[in-house]
Amino acid sequence: MQTIYTLFLLASLLSLLLYKKPLLAQKVGFGLASVISLYAAIFFFSNLNDTLLWKLPGSFISAPLFRLDSLGMFFSFLVSLVAFAVSLFSFDYAKFYENKANLAVFASLFNAFILSMLLVIASDNVFSFMLLWEVMTLISALLILINDGKDAGKNVMIYLGIAQIGAFCLMVALLIMASVAGSFEFSKFAEMEIGFGMSLTLFVLLLIGLGSKAGMFPFHVWLPLAYCQCPSNASALMSGVMIKVALFAFIKFSLLLPSLVQFGYILLFVGALSCIFGIIYALISNDYKAAIAYSSCENVGIIFLGLGGAFYGLGTNSPTIALLGFVAGFFHILNHAVFKSLLFMLSGNVYTATQTRNMDLLGGLHKKMPITSIIFFVAVIAICALPPLNGFASEWVVYKTMVMGGIHEGVVSRFFFTLAIIALSITGAMAIMAFSKVYGAIFLGVARDTQKIENAKEVSFIRLLPLSLLASLCVGIGVFMNDVIGMLSNIVFTLIPQTTTSIQGLISMPIIIMVMLLCAIIPFVLLYLLKANHKEARITDPWACGFLYNKNMQIGSNAFTGDIKKALSFILRYESEVKIDGYFSKAVYTHKTHDLFWEKLYAPVIDFIMVIADKIGVFQNGRTNLYAGYILIYLCLILMFGYYYL
Amino acid sequence: MDFFYVLLQLISAIMVAPLFDGISRKLRAKFQSRMGPSIFQTYYDIYKLLKRGRTKSHSASYIYQIAPYVLFISAAAMFCALPITYGTNAIALSQFSDIFVLLYLGALFRFTFIVAGFDTANPFSGVSASREGTMGFYTEEVAVICLIVVMMGAGSTNLPFIVHSVLEGHYGYAIPSFSIAATAFLWVMYVETGRKPYDLAEAEQELQEGVLGEFCGKDFALIDIAILLKQFAVLGFFLVIFVPWGIVENPILSLIIFLAEVGFLYVMGVFIDNFGPRFTMNKGMKRTMLYALAVSCTALVLYIMGI
Repeated sequence: MQTIYTLFLLASLLSLLLYKKPLLAQKVGFGLASVISLYAAIFFFSNLNDTLLWKLPGSFISAPLFRLDSLGMFFSFLVSLVAFAVSLFSFDYAKFYENKANLAVFASLFNAFILSMLLVIASDNVFSFMLLWEVMTLISALLILINDGKDAGKNVMIYLGIAQIGAFCLMVALLIMASVAGSFEFSKFAEMEIGFGMSLTLFVLLLIGLGSKAGMFPFHVWLPLAYCQCPSNASALMSGVMIKVALFAFIKFSLLLPSLVQFGYILLFVGALSCIFGIIYALISNDYKAAIAYSSCENVGIIFLGLGGAFYGLGTNSPTIALLGFVAGFFHILNHAVFKSLLFMLSGNVYTATQTRNMDLLGGLHKKMPITSIIFFVAVIAICALPPLNGFASEWVVYKTMVMGGIHEGVVSRFFFTLAIIALSITGAMAIMAFSKVYGAIFLGVARDTQKIENAKEVSFIRLLPLSLLASLCVGIGVFMNDVIGMLSNIVFTLIPQTTTSIQGLISMPIIIMVMLLCAIIPFVLLYLLKANHKEARITDPWACGFLYNKNMQIGSNAFTGDIKKALSFILRYESEVKIDGYFSKAVYTHKTHDLFWEKLYAPVIDFIMVIADKIGVFQNGRTNLYAGYILIYLCLILMFGYYYL
Repeated sequence: MDFFYVLLQLISAIMVAPLFDGISRKLRAKFQSRMGPSIFQTYYDIYKLLKRGRTKSHSASYIYQIAPYVLFISAAAMFCALPITYGTNAIALSQFSDIFVLLYLGALFRFTFIVAGFDTANPFSGVSASREGTMGFYTEEVAVICLIVVMMGAGSTNLPFIVHSVLEGHYGYAIPSFSIAATAFLWVMYVETGRKPYDLAEAEQELQEGVLGEFCGKDFALIDIAILLKQFAVLGFFLVIFVPWGIVENPILSLIIFLAEVGFLYVMGVFIDNFGPRFTMNKGMKRTMLYALAVSCTALVLYIMGI
């Protein structure tokens, strides 16, 4: 375990030392990262059911203890698995940013980022956890800045701002827990005795602190800004695993609190909202990277639904629901890590080929990049939760948890669980629209802006290798869902010893596939028996009712969601404007969608802070005499305070 | 043996579905004071399409090639998920026959429809792909709300189990929420069959099937069969949950009864279809689905209250 961390540190330093030769540093840095993370993934997976301890040698920063139990092993495995694929991808991809930043710094930050995530998972006391947590945030912010652009500063500030709100809540919660437990070590936290109100407060603080990092609603505003700004490999890591680290910490800390039923209700409610709003914004965005980013919010919502079921089960002492809920949560965490990092890397491929993120300019890219397109199709099927891939498998377990929870007597629990199922089903319907649109608008049809597509060509083999690896993982996890569920339930057993029941009544993916294959035979038999006409099809223009076909006739990403936007106009704000001057000139159509929560929740706060900052600015006017005066006044006050009260 | 019965179930549905379609076309013609085609017309149509040559759009990619097959597979798998010829004893198949598997196979059907619409770059298929997705958004939640009542009431998502408990009388029409959910569910399943007033054509081309505008020859024939199968599957979905009394011990007998029931419902659809008005997309869906939503929510509230 130490070896892995040391190796990542060395790789990071080595690539920094090569800053004079960026291209070499890129090869060395990302190459090393992929080798080390492959080793790490194998190591963590083979030790999945063990507990490992490790102390920093000497008394360096009060010798913090690092500890990996079964849960930590699972998440470390997840980080290193995705890191392996992403670093192999970056081996070639990163050179695209050659002119924007020094690639040596990029590679170094990349290694350091993986290291910081692994250390956050392993750290076992409050001090080292908070320190590493902030280091992780800072490194990810620097990774966003690699792709320097017009709005980079603003986007990073929003990201850091929300991260700070989160870190503050997290810090408060951890300090309260530490003071109650009388120790800074997480392993001693378990014997806390706290009342109902206190544990609820702590839970909410943890939820805000860690949920904001995970992209939970209403803290989702940073997702599209940060992920779109990032280079795609960094956003694959951030969305694929960094938000999972937050979820790991959330699971770990909230399990230390005495379990209440209310925890489950809060999570179900927040999860349902995250699902719906995440997918609505994903659906209406015309930027494919933003759509993928918003869908992180949706998937975190689905994970929260699973975990909500689990906490409900713990609170009501029903081990079956608790087990199902945790398995559902972990399963979706695993799946989301795989397909979301895959989608972000694929979006990187599209961006490097076409230099645009606007779906209304793309189209017909399949002809130029067939392999990228097919892998993208697999990822889209996975994220839409369609059978027989992995997304469906984990969503099915989430549904199962919700149904099992809703069977219980009691109006409140039934209300929350039915709310969750309805949210999940609406999400499912909209996810299909959102991602069929993303796929269709980018890869299918005719190129809308021929100049953009003209020079696009398939990316190199080394970039496609990790992508096809993750895509086959999507299929594999789906097919062997029952084995994965068995593995995940073992982790849950070590986490919560009272869940000793096993999961009954699962669906079986191999049988689903078998039935589908059986059905697949029939059309061929039918065509053969009836002696169908198999002649090659004649190629023509698409039918346009007798008019001459024009590429602008095909539907665009914006028009595709027109009807649903009208239907959702009660929660969406959008403006569309048509400018026509004269009969023969082209009409200009502009369309803008607003994030309601940004405008109602964040913008007023930011404006208020700006006003306050302006007012405070009066005090800081650069006159030394005045500053001396401030010090004098301060000293007087302190002396007075000391005289009367001490 | 179970797989044999499932295959039998599927093949017999493919065999008789065009007949019922022919009957409903004949009936509709009679309503409109026309002679109408022969009741075997749908068979002739499919046969004719199989023999025709094809043209394809120059933008069509592999999606265009596989779409007819994927549509067929998802519709057929949906139909196979209905536990008509096999019961709770069929261990292998009862791991397949699940409410969410059926719903998501339907989603796969819709997804393929939309992607195929994008692929051909035909203006009409694009618009109708968008409509297909929007319809899904409207109908999905009503269907799921009804199913929540059933799943939670019966205590499982497993279809054979639910059918069994309704047949045995452990659960059923004695419970008010179940009977109200039945109404809303039939409504949604009718919408899913895509007939008027949910046909939503706004141009000369029938827009809901506008996705298929670019398909022809054997591809189109396969899609036709797939659509018929899907309509049978969604009506059958209603039947196996809410009217399961046709399912008896003998698999062949229950298959015959079931096909007769579905066919009957399918033909009866003409009574709504023929007199249904045409709405525009937003008005029609919003206005009519709100009632279905209200009915299903009533069922849900009753369930939550424990009635």
